[in-house]
Amino acid sequence: MVLDILEMMDISGDDPYMVTEAYAVRGWGDGLPLVAPTPERVEEMLSFLGDVDPDEVIATLAPRSGEATRRAIAVNAVLAGCSPKHLPVLISAVRALSAPELNLRGVNATTHCVAPLLIVHGKYADDADYNGGLGAFGPGNISNAATGRALRLILLHIAGATPGNGDASTQGGPAKYTYCVAENLKESPWGSYASTTGVDAESAVTIHCGEAPHNVHDMESSEPAPILDKIASAMCSWGQNNAPISQGEYFIALCPEHAVVCADHGWSRSDIASYLFHRAVVNVGEAREAFELRAWESWQHALRDDDSIPMTSHPANIKVFVLGGPGKHSSIIPSWGMTKSVTVPIIA
Amino acid sequence: MQIYTPEGHVGEPQTNLAPSPVVLSGKRIGVLDNTKPNAGILLNRLATRLEERTKAILVTVETKNAALAAPDQVMGKLTKEVEIVLTGSAD
Repeated sequence: MVLDILEMMDISGDDPYMVTEAYAVRGWGDGLPLVAPTPERVEEMLSFLGDVDPDEVIATLAPRSGEATRRAIAVNAVLAGCSPKHLPVLISAVRALSAPELNLRGVNATTHCVAPLLIVHGKYADDADYNGGLGAFGPGNISNAATGRALRLILLHIAGATPGNGDASTQGGPAKYTYCVAENLKESPWGSYASTTGVDAESAVTIHCGEAPHNVHDMESSEPAPILDKIASAMCSWGQNNAPISQGEYFIALCPEHAVVCADHGWSRSDIASYLFHRAVVNVGEAREAFELRAWESWQHALRDDDSIPMTSHPANIKVFVLGGPGKHSSIIPSWGMTKSVTVPIIA
Repeated sequence: MQIYTPEGHVGEPQTNLAPSPVVLSGKRIGVLDNTKPNAGILLNRLATRLEERTKAILVTVETKNAALAAPDQVMGKLTKEVEIVLTGSAD
């Protein structure tokens, strides 16, 4: 066992409150009780991975330029209450976070409330007991709660996204505590979302850096258009960064019942995205009045004041996946804006 | 008992701010406007005040997106043309 790869500290007991306090005085932790990351617990976590180098740098995370090794990730996984089976998901999520197009420095440092949503796809979501069904956003499921929390601890500790220092978020946000779900593949009429991104692996993760979910309910419609019109109305808020930043994506988490209505009428994911692209529009003149600075595409700048402008510059920026259990509540997850979602295979 | 600390090591050395020059007289100033609301007004007015008080000279005003790092072209121009950069403004 190698103990000198990461720094150690002494505490007088294993009590979670003691760990929390000892960490808090050093500016660490998320404010909730922490599990002591003893060498034995961290080693048990790492042994789940088999024959891999625990001290290989998986990614260097901004703004601190912190080196996320498997061991450092495992320490934060223990702190959050994870089981060893969650570690491959976290390692893969860290890879996704470091993709240049995700712009982690901006995500962590902005005044916006953005948090990375971690979506687990495929067989590993089942194997490791992630929840994509009833109540997927929480509370209650250990895998969702602990993995999402561990990812936040990795951002706080390794990436240095501490409030007031590496994280300037004006109000913070509940999604910054934990934000992890599984895709409900069993009830998806369209197959895995990951495959639409070109990732054909059996299991994968997606990171989308956005707001907390906005609810959309439709109890009465038996056709796609009225359901999607309500979703489009939720997308048309002036308060979202998508309004002035047209490269911003939307993740549309369709509940199974809404998804089935669309699929039964022959609508594919891209049909839904195209419809929403055309229906989630605002007036150009009002947009120009609302935002002095507009990160629009050149064709959007050329529109006249009495034209309509879509809330995102291309239908491909509207990403559809299935989430949730019985009931007729879907949600939208607007983007921070200057970021792109990333999907990678689960590789430990 | 012993437990791990959670931060891990810092990779590539973090870039630190250069020490402030002792004398501003005759120094060339660049403004790097991050295009946040009023950033350009604030930074340019500050540059004007510095010109008046210290005889420093405003040489160039560049802009960047607040959410992204400054492009290499902008950083190269500033490195070549000025000794002092005024930047940094939030919402």
